[in-house]
Amino acid sequence: MSERISLKQAERRAFTAAFEDGLWDIFIGCVVSMFAIAPFLSARLGDFWSSAVFLPFFAAVFLVIRALRKHVVVPRIGRVTFGAARKAKLMRFNFVMLAVNIGALALGAFAAVKFRSMSGWLIALMFALILLTGASLAAYLLGFRRLYLYGLMLAVSPLVGEWVWVNKGATHHGFPITFGVTAGIMIFTGLVIFVRLLRHSPLPSLPSEEA
Amino acid sequence: MAEPPQDPRLHPLADIDRLIHASPRLMVLTYLYVVESADYVFLMRMTGMTWGNLSTHLSKLEEAGYIAMEKEFRGKKPHTIIHLTKEGRAAFREYKKSMQRVLDDLPD
Repeated sequence: MSERISLKQAERRAFTAAFEDGLWDIFIGCVVSMFAIAPFLSARLGDFWSSAVFLPFFAAVFLVIRALRKHVVVPRIGRVTFGAARKAKLMRFNFVMLAVNIGALALGAFAAVKFRSMSGWLIALMFALILLTGASLAAYLLGFRRLYLYGLMLAVSPLVGEWVWVNKGATHHGFPITFGVTAGIMIFTGLVIFVRLLRHSPLPSLPSEEA
Repeated sequence: MAEPPQDPRLHPLADIDRLIHASPRLMVLTYLYVVESADYVFLMRMTGMTWGNLSTHLSKLEEAGYIAMEKEFRGKKPHTIIHLTKEGRAAFREYKKSMQRVLDDLPD
């Protein structure tokens, strides 16, 4: 045996094997694409309707991903349920994400009321910190290491966007460019992982009594 | 049952549960120990075994009462969910302790 048997590692490997299908990357990429597309929609439809348009879009993406997972991924990788420790970890993840979102909303509301003439750089920096904190915490709690990289890319996006807007005259604080590129990388990564899974994990041959 | 080893330092090896000690079954039990339940496909993927091979090892573990297999239906298709029993969990824990004892006692 060339490797030490570590139960912790085995659990992590089982968890990664069950979720390493690229579909979450695609979903997160679609969510991030909102930052790239929303400014254009906002100009045409207003803030409220531009946000409302995204709800059915997210719902459609979510349903497609769920269907892919059920009909394409699970028959290839199998079904597994995790123990109490992993469930507690997921619960912690939900609480922390809720706290980060509430914190971000509160910070945004406070900044909007208190500092109406805040500089673009300060807003970009705040946005970057929120994105980095949220993604890093999610990466840590889920053991989803690629999220650290995504968090870094997300954090850089508003800052580079601001720079492109100030120096190169890009529209909408450069969001369509920077967040568009970030979302594109995430969706592309997800697609590569998904296609690789399909290629390397063909449908197993099972006897007729086991489907 | 084989004769106990002559080297007294290796005596704990005689107590090792041989049903668990076989590497394919050890792999299966390791994964079942760290998850709540899994199906055939998942275990085949994680252990690299074929259905037939896995089925043979699972039958042995089921006979010993270490695992339980539950048939359920997904739509009209039968589907087997496998999980470790209380006895299986205790046996695996005991196996782990015995192995640690044996390995810790071995000279460098």
